[in-house]
Amino acid sequence: MLIPHPLLGLRDAQEFTYLGDASLMHRPDPAREDAVAAFADYVFLRDNPAGVHRELWFHEAGDRSWLVVTRDTTTHEILGAELASDVKLGGVQ
Amino acid sequence: MTDLTPITALGGTVARSEDFGVLRLTEQPDLSLASLSLRKGQGVPSPFGLTLPGVGQSSQAGEYGAFWIGRDQWMIEAQGTQDIAAMLKAEVPEASVTEQTDGFATFEISSAGGAGPLEAVMRKLVNLDPQAFEPGAATRTTLEHISVFLVRRAEDRLAVIGMRTYAGALWHALSTAARRIGAQTDGELAK
Repeated sequence: MLIPHPLLGLRDAQEFTYLGDASLMHRPDPAREDAVAAFADYVFLRDNPAGVHRELWFHEAGDRSWLVVTRDTTTHEILGAELASDVKLGGVQ
Repeated sequence: MTDLTPITALGGTVARSEDFGVLRLTEQPDLSLASLSLRKGQGVPSPFGLTLPGVGQSSQAGEYGAFWIGRDQWMIEAQGTQDIAAMLKAEVPEASVTEQTDGFATFEISSAGGAGPLEAVMRKLVNLDPQAFEPGAATRTTLEHISVFLVRRAEDRLAVIGMRTYAGALWHALSTAARRIGAQTDGELAK
């Protein structure tokens, strides 16, 4: 399986490690009044879609960047990959 | 004072070198390494007169070299045994500099038969397109599950920089591949 790294081009999936749902990037604000409930959802609740899924992959044996990879969970087809920092910060570094 | 004998990553007192047909595999114990990471918002410096290369590239200036290892991160190389981290920190005091020399072992594969045999070895060892990995290209990848930096010094020379504790395993992997490809090229030359 090859992952289209936005900087390095097609790279072997063995160079990457998988973390999970890309929604993990949106950590709730601990100062919120309902922070306990929000964190319970953040830590324990995941969607489990059959189809297109956005997920975090780490290029561990490469340039050590975090990617948001869009994958079809029914076919394992990789539909795209973006740098997680670009997704989170909108390209502003 | 205790009389200490320096040894190479492979445990010898001199660098190991072996020929396999047109291919030569050499240990390079005299390369000093330090990593350079920019702080947030910092402009790209040019230590030792180096133009720090872009994604997946390397550059050279005299006896110094640099290759890209991540966003706003480079490995800086110098020929010879020297305190490269201190020298680099003096060049770019505002950046983060870490000594790397003794963490790594460097091997070079060179080919007396042009790019062909070298690319054949690459095809055996790493999941990268050797033809897209042109002279000047540099990347980090895995080689027999060992994390390595590859730097294509020239069309017929490839540097493999891996963790020093894996030096023996890396030599085994590189020499096994080079022996097989070397034997094939021997046959071709004999025809």
